[in-house]
Amino acid sequence: MASHSSPIAGGNIAGLADLTGTIVERFGGQVGQLRAGGNFILTLSVAQPSALPELSRFLFWEHGCLFGGITAEEHSRHWQIHYTFLLPGSGWIDVELSMPLETKTLPSIVAQVHAADWHEREVEDLFGIHFENHPRLGDFILHDQTWREGIDPMRKHFSASHPQLERKVDLEWQPLLVVGDPGSFAMPVGPVYEGGIGESLHFLLETVGEDVIRAAPRLFYNYRAVEKVAEGRTITGALLLAERFAATSAFAHSLAFCLAAEKIAAVEVPPRAAALRVLLAELERLRHHAGAIAAICESTALAVPSAQASIIEENLLRASCVFTDHRYLFGLNTPGGLNFNFGSEQCQTLLTAVDRAESDLRILEKRLRLSSSFLDRLENVGVVTGESARDLNLVGPIGRASAQHCDLRTACAYSGYERYVFAVPCEAEGDGYARLRVLFAEATESARLIHRVVDTLEVGPVRVPCEVHHAGAALGWVEAPRGAALHWLRVDEKGVVERYRAITPSFNNWLGFHVAAENFAFQDFPIILATFGLSATECDR
Amino acid sequence: MSFWFWHGLRKGIQSSRYPARAENTPGVSPGRPMGTDFSTLEEAQLAAEICPTDAIVAHGKSTYVNPAKCVHCQLCLHSLPSPMNWEPGYEWAQLSANQTEAHPLPSAFAKSMHIMVVDAGDCGACLHEVKQLNNPLYNMHRLGFFLTATPRTADLLLVVGPVSENMRGPLLKTWEAMPTSRKVIAVGGCAIAGGVFGRSFMCACGVGEVLPVDFEVPGNPPPPLAILHGLLVAAGRKSLKSPKPISEGRV
Amino acid sequence: MALTGPLLVAIFAVCAAGVLLSALLGRKHVPWVLALAGALSAILMVLTSASILLTGHPFEAALWTLDGFGRFTIHLDSVASIFLLVSGVVYFSVSLFAGSFLRNQTDEAHPHFYYAILYFALMASVVLILVAGDIVLFLISWECMSILCFLLINYDTRGQSDKSAGYIMLAMSEAGFLAVAVAFLLLARSAPDFSFAALRTASTALSPQTLWLPFLLGFFGFGVKAGLVPVNFWLPRSYTAAPTIFIPVFAGITLNLGFYGILRLDADLMHAGYGTGLVALITGSITALVGILYATTDGDIKTMLAHSSIENAGIIVAAFGAFLVFRALGQPVAAALAVSALLYHMVNHSIYKTLLFEGAGHVEAATGTREMDQLGGLARFLPGLSAIFLVGCLAISAVPPFNGFVSEWMTLQSLLRSAVLASTSVRIVFALCGAALALTAALAVTCFVKTYAMNFLGIRRGSWELRDNAQAMSKFPLAFLAVICLLLGILPTYVLPMLNQSAETLAGTSVTTALVQPFFTATPENAQLPSAFLTDFHNLGAQTGKGLVPGRGLVVLLRGGEANPVVFAMSPSYSIIALMILFAFAWFVLRRLTRRRTLARRPVWAGGIPRLLPILTYTGTGFSNPVRVVFQAIFQPNIIEDTRQTVAVHFRTAIHRQREETHVVDRLLLRPVGTAAQGIAAFLAGMHHGKLNAYITYVLAFLLLVLFIYRGG
Repeated sequence: MASHSSPIAGGNIAGLADLTGTIVERFGGQVGQLRAGGNFILTLSVAQPSALPELSRFLFWEHGCLFGGITAEEHSRHWQIHYTFLLPGSGWIDVELSMPLETKTLPSIVAQVHAADWHEREVEDLFGIHFENHPRLGDFILHDQTWREGIDPMRKHFSASHPQLERKVDLEWQPLLVVGDPGSFAMPVGPVYEGGIGESLHFLLETVGEDVIRAAPRLFYNYRAVEKVAEGRTITGALLLAERFAATSAFAHSLAFCLAAEKIAAVEVPPRAAALRVLLAELERLRHHAGAIAAICESTALAVPSAQASIIEENLLRASCVFTDHRYLFGLNTPGGLNFNFGSEQCQTLLTAVDRAESDLRILEKRLRLSSSFLDRLENVGVVTGESARDLNLVGPIGRASAQHCDLRTACAYSGYERYVFAVPCEAEGDGYARLRVLFAEATESARLIHRVVDTLEVGPVRVPCEVHHAGAALGWVEAPRGAALHWLRVDEKGVVERYRAITPSFNNWLGFHVAAENFAFQDFPIILATFGLSATECDR
Repeated sequence: MSFWFWHGLRKGIQSSRYPARAENTPGVSPGRPMGTDFSTLEEAQLAAEICPTDAIVAHGKSTYVNPAKCVHCQLCLHSLPSPMNWEPGYEWAQLSANQTEAHPLPSAFAKSMHIMVVDAGDCGACLHEVKQLNNPLYNMHRLGFFLTATPRTADLLLVVGPVSENMRGPLLKTWEAMPTSRKVIAVGGCAIAGGVFGRSFMCACGVGEVLPVDFEVPGNPPPPLAILHGLLVAAGRKSLKSPKPISEGRV
Repeated sequence: MALTGPLLVAIFAVCAAGVLLSALLGRKHVPWVLALAGALSAILMVLTSASILLTGHPFEAALWTLDGFGRFTIHLDSVASIFLLVSGVVYFSVSLFAGSFLRNQTDEAHPHFYYAILYFALMASVVLILVAGDIVLFLISWECMSILCFLLINYDTRGQSDKSAGYIMLAMSEAGFLAVAVAFLLLARSAPDFSFAALRTASTALSPQTLWLPFLLGFFGFGVKAGLVPVNFWLPRSYTAAPTIFIPVFAGITLNLGFYGILRLDADLMHAGYGTGLVALITGSITALVGILYATTDGDIKTMLAHSSIENAGIIVAAFGAFLVFRALGQPVAAALAVSALLYHMVNHSIYKTLLFEGAGHVEAATGTREMDQLGGLARFLPGLSAIFLVGCLAISAVPPFNGFVSEWMTLQSLLRSAVLASTSVRIVFALCGAALALTAALAVTCFVKTYAMNFLGIRRGSWELRDNAQAMSKFPLAFLAVICLLLGILPTYVLPMLNQSAETLAGTSVTTALVQPFFTATPENAQLPSAFLTDFHNLGAQTGKGLVPGRGLVVLLRGGEANPVVFAMSPSYSIIALMILFAFAWFVLRRLTRRRTLARRPVWAGGIPRLLPILTYTGTGFSNPVRVVFQAIFQPNIIEDTRQTVAVHFRTAIHRQREETHVVDRLLLRPVGTAAQGIAAFLAGMHHGKLNAYITYVLAFLLLVLFIYRGG
């Protein structure tokens, strides 16, 4: 794998020497090469797979790294599995493992890093690699009730345009239920969610009648195999997919994709493009948070603030449409910069709309704090403690409401974020009210950041040509409205996508949903869902 | 808590007057490309090539746009030396390809239609736009359109998304559970022609492959007013401007 | 009447014949003997009681004399006749049910003849209890009945999970017997002989203070059989452990014997003060509430029905308490109303509880399980049984037009009569107890909605298979009882005059004129009704059928009294007519409206999942959990949670929660008493230390004590 150096913005490379030294000392022969540079501040090639659990535990717990995700790649004769970790303040660490294609088992790191649970299940479902000692493999993306075993769709021998497979409902299938109380049952919710307009997801609420003891989500009803469909497309073709698999954070995902492509092509975008990207990302964040606040108010059936918040969101959508000719900011990002430029009157019009939205949100927040019946339904509901949040590596506003401070904009800045000073709000209670406060605070920060960007906007081009002439792979990351999103891209010398992996914040956070949804009353279920504000389609891809 | 009552009153009525009056507030619709006559053959060819989903078809110097395939990437607006003509507006509803004339719901449902929304692999934008129909700025309740939670009481099935494989079964069950005198409306480019995801082992190429579709609302995503127009067409309160969709090869 | 004596002899003769035939004939014929002889004897019982009720004269006969115990007498009056009538009807159905059940039982090891012998002996002893006219005969036959019940419960111990149930029942029966015997003897101290007539006259001389002790002993002594808190803890366990064919007898007959004993001793033989009535009222209300709470949250059909029997017993005893209070405070009409309500409810309860227990027996025979969480979907396999069981559930939930409605209405109305009492504190007690009974009525509906829905509706939850013999068992006994439920519900104005005779005996006033008017013409009896009311009812057509239907009108009325000229009326008879007309009308309208529509049957909508699995549907426990949570203070469950996890908290593989519940009566009363008794015994056991010198000292000390007591000579 050729690595092209591209300086990681920010970073405390001094701490890196300690880390490298400790790893060599502890793991010695099990870890092969260590190298720095390129995408990652450190790349570890693991020689013996049995070292993985201990190494992961060391990085995650002892060294305080965050877990990014697992990316599996199939080459012509070997597997390459990447375990990505983030050293906050410094950069990304890649633990990679090569093994021959015949090997189909790996030791699971789930006992040490619980956040790897769903990542390993996805690799098992899609690639067929078995993880030893993982307590619950299977029935993940390809539901056991309707799909047969052994399809492994992400393998190279399986074509995306394979005709639809024959599927039958397995009459013997029973869901794996946890609660064994005599008389307990599992109430099914979804996938056609009976709450009005909702994404397709399925819950089995295990209960004995009055309280729900455990609610585990069963997702991937919206799975469109975006990662598979992207293989074989050009970068611009795959960019369309990356932008549109989760449209409410379309700009963020397209930005991460373009950053990865630019790293492969070793191209640096002009400063005006970087600044405008920051502006558009914050605009998306502001609009997303207004929508999330409207959803929380609606879940508690507080009609007026819910209506007012949705008016704020609609006004922001209209402002986005006036600014960029699309309500959801589609079609803006391209590798090398932005597709078109914006004039100063456009920016001023946008600022007016943003200011109006911010002041409306502030009034809303002030009054919601005084609505005691509303707060009653949010406080101490769906609590995720700080330890659980750390344990399960929750990201985004949900993580920050449970004392997980990490925000990729400051921890590992990209696209010029290091030039701006802004706060990252954080709360510690981890209940629904804390998440609401974080949403309001972040929305205000985004509005201020938009102002700062417009004030310091330089003149210049917004695009440079970006051609890929040689094969390469890179990681692009972004703090999407819901949390940290990583896009891993590998292209061949003609610029055709060989592997595309999108690790979305909703994928990480849905894992932690069952921690919040334990021992609650039936009526609190929509509220917990709304305060989590997760997207099933972003998780499913 | 009585604050909310006065706050709401003070904000006043903000609903759009559509369909009684056209809605012209900037930002309600991104518009879409429309068939353009170029001055040179190369420009027309360039326009046809730049479209990533082959929505633009060039016949000589004229180009036609298939609205069902347009994904609103805006490349034909921003990346062409001579851009395509842009059509503002939002009344985009059309009949599905195999229909020749509109068969809306019986007149009993015209002022009171219950809609069941199913997400069949949608990216989230179309679903979000449908959600916006409930906010005070559009307020579809004033037109007698309501959302139901169960297909047993639904008249219209609104499907978004290209129908992922895992949702094929639930979507069929939803449709079968609806009492007859039911119509299906496919909202969004993905639901009509598969969108950017296209046909794959995990994704069908639109709702038409799974259910009999009556009406379509193209767009990516169609703005709320376009969806509202589609609902009015399904209820029989608006007639379609162009009774037949523009298909490939048709001059 | 002249026929009564021969009829009684005939009953005993048929029972004896039944015993002989079942002992002599082969195994295959025993079910037939049981069914036919039992049915015949039941018909004779009904005829016997009819002979008393229709003529209004009690039957007296004297039997032989026993030295030291006096003369054995037989005295069958109208109170006992009602019980005899009910017993006859129930025995008719149960005999046929037992016969058909045993016929389909292919298990060779069951000693059918043993059961039949005990069955007929029990029938004879029940009749003997009801006709007994003196203490000794009564007590002897009561003891026979207790022991026979015990033997019948333990008749087949192989299928029992709780082998001690029979022994607990026997122990409690003996304790009750002793209390009852002491009560009778206390009354008999001042009487010349042991006959009930002598006791009746002797007790009028006793003061109310001295009557407290026999009242309480008799009340709780008979309360053992009647199922009152706190002496009823044997009842759920015995009902669950008893064989299927015997439980209906338990519920429909022996329970009533408890009420009979209470009525006989505490109402007929003594006239105690109103304080005793309040005790009865409060005990009854608490019993009803506790019974229905445990019934609603129970998951086993038989145990649930047992708790429901406790609830109904509570209602009956509450009405009894109201009766005593009204009688003691000089309100004979209200007292007669209360006792009519009591008797009506007793009759109704016997009918529908027997029906429900027989239905439960059918369900258990068909599926092999009694757990409601495992059943479900039976309506599709057993439609006839399902319809009949529904009638039973509606009747016990007091839904018109069935019989439960009439008796519940009358019970609650009689409690409302407390407005005529002067004392405020008594009225407050009545109000609180009335509220408790209203709560139990609501919970009873919940309980039986859950029962019917969880067993018969929905989809099958467990893995049982329908057995072949299920269809072969005759449903005639159940259908017979269901029809009687309906008739008792829609013809109350014909039942009340029959109960009136017993009411008159106990309360001293006739209640017929107060409750059931002749058709609404201006007769002297109707003159007391307000004329506006008469006009309204005329306009409503209340006098329709005057020429066709003999006897009384079809409306049950209660007048509020001079100060409160309100009339409370209800008429299930007119209701059922109106209901049928409405149903027919609705049916015709719907047929016209949907002529051109087709009916499509589609699977249930479950959110789009591929199959609705049984584990995804509501269980009975889930349905009744809100009741368990709301009344947590009473249940106080001890939840033991056992969580199994593989790797960390995140990967729970199983959460098992066991709920341990101690019955509230056990917790509040029996455990402390038991612990105290054990403590005292442990203390006293300190006396057994084995030292001979100390034992001699005990004897000396006792001798000195006796000498001291009798020093006067």
